[in-house]
Amino acid sequence: MNMTTEAAVMTAEAAAPTRSRRSRRRYLRIRAASLIGVTAATAVLLVAYVAVGSGGIAITDVARTIWIGGTGRIIPADFQRTYDIVAGLRLPRVLVAAAAGAALSLAGVVMQAILRNPLVSPFTLGVSPAAAFGAALVIVLSGGAGNGFLATVAAFVTAAAAALVVLGLAHTKSSGQITATVLLLGIALTQLFEAATSAMQFVADQNTLAAIVRWTFGSVNEATWGDFQAIGIVTVLSAVIIMINAKHLNAIAFAGEDAARSLGANVTLIRFGLIALSVLLAAVVVSLCGVIGFVGLVGPHIARLIIGPDHRHLVPFSIVTGALLLATADTVGRIVLAPIVVPVGIVIAVVGAPLFIYLILSRRTTR
Amino acid sequence: MTELTVDKINFFHGRKQILTDISFTLSAGDFCGLLGPNGSGKSTLTKVLARVHRPRSGDVRYDDRSLLRLPRRESARLVAYVPQSGGGEFELTVRDTVMLGRNPRIRIRPTADDWDIVEDTIDQLGLSEFADRQVGSLSGGQAQRVLIARALAQQPKVLLLDEPTSALDLRYQIETLSLVKSIIDRDRIISLIAIHDLTHASYFCNQVLVLEDGSIAVAGSPQEALSPVDLSRIYGIEVIAERRPARVDVFPALFETPGD
Repeated sequence: MNMTTEAAVMTAEAAAPTRSRRSRRRYLRIRAASLIGVTAATAVLLVAYVAVGSGGIAITDVARTIWIGGTGRIIPADFQRTYDIVAGLRLPRVLVAAAAGAALSLAGVVMQAILRNPLVSPFTLGVSPAAAFGAALVIVLSGGAGNGFLATVAAFVTAAAAALVVLGLAHTKSSGQITATVLLLGIALTQLFEAATSAMQFVADQNTLAAIVRWTFGSVNEATWGDFQAIGIVTVLSAVIIMINAKHLNAIAFAGEDAARSLGANVTLIRFGLIALSVLLAAVVVSLCGVIGFVGLVGPHIARLIIGPDHRHLVPFSIVTGALLLATADTVGRIVLAPIVVPVGIVIAVVGAPLFIYLILSRRTTR
Repeated sequence: MTELTVDKINFFHGRKQILTDISFTLSAGDFCGLLGPNGSGKSTLTKVLARVHRPRSGDVRYDDRSLLRLPRRESARLVAYVPQSGGGEFELTVRDTVMLGRNPRIRIRPTADDWDIVEDTIDQLGLSEFADRQVGSLSGGQAQRVLIARALAQQPKVLLLDEPTSALDLRYQIETLSLVKSIIDRDRIISLIAIHDLTHASYFCNQVLVLEDGSIAVAGSPQEALSPVDLSRIYGIEVIAERRPARVDVFPALFETPGD
């Protein structure tokens, strides 16, 4: 490849490019096929997860429930008990787990792209300790009685406020320092809120302490259709906005902020807007389900391994991997120590940590 | 005649003024070398023109349109920028990296035309055999070529290069400069290159701007502008500049021994 340049331009122009074009088309087909295949498999698995557990429910019962619920038919008397279990308990549970996983994974893929760091997650800004603090405060003030709704609202408000403080402070710095500042402020706020929550746990009585700890465990044990709607709506709207900006995410993640600007991206607006969106996703999930780690970190990495780094494919695929991961973790939590239901936050941490270590160690060998 | 006009640009970093009243005009086909010591503002000026930095005052016009006021998407169709180095933790293949250059022209997904332009650019820069490789696995010179390909995929009228040759060995420096020169001559675009090597600049560029503390100290054709007196003062080291027909040889006076 000894080319003096002008000659290089000439000879290369004459070279046949067909081989690379064909390989590119094949690659695109494989990507499309895996996206569709994994999405379909996820849908089937989610239905199967609903049937898992005590109560002798078959997959056909799940399908029948969805059919009856969807078409608004009258429930046969002999099917009423099964219908109540599936529609009232199992379906919302599996769907909330899937939606929460999707939301966290979506938030994670955006944070990783914008902060150009594969080790960040939606909780890097201190969202989860802030939410835990807000909920703990309400629980302590109400003497451990625990108004679930109020704790949820307080968790959301503190989480969003903490993230806004981080973003606001970071944006007072010059453009090149914002990413590092966001990460460091997130660490500082995490420490601060954890200390504050610990302080409250220290002074709390037995009942209050138990209520705080129970809130902090991420779980979908009390999942409702309302939770599913809240997480689902926020996730779908966010996904649309994020997909519109997928090409700019590519530019920021792979070319850097300076080059992204010269490629037509309004980096300041996109960075602030999409980080705020990720925080919103994480805050909604944390306030409804408690702290569920690792999905936001590992979900995008699994998706990246399968579908590649282009955000036009990676963003939708991360939604699918996150949903599958968390719904699977919850199902495992229901059967592994049955009849005890292990909170999904614990299962995902136990499964996620080794998975993450594996991903870190295998990272450079894929090239 | 299409022209790039830079009009009284002032840029501040905090309270510190980095660029002072920078004005110049370049015409289609011009290859302008942006010279000057470290910290003289070469890189900053390139970034202001690329809209990475926003100047406090002044204007940049192409064809009487103010580039700084256009929507970013539109200015990115006119001006492309090649940074010193790209990449970070995440990596794309060569092909997908070059496709980023189509960003100002695509909505969400690239069309068949975009893919064709990307493939043509890759072929043109002799990168076809690396198209499916990760950029990080390429050598410095090849990776630099990918960044130039990305900028060319923007199909710009103005090509800005921020010290593209600083990290390269002699062969890749000359290859990169000849490549850019051949593209300017073929497409009649305007190019501005921040560069340290004065002799290289004098051979490849038809215009030079020498910055000193954020102001233009001298400007013009290399033969006119590169004088030993000015350069010695600007760089703070005694230099000799010998004018040859196709270049100006610039080297430290230290190198000249009585025997020469």
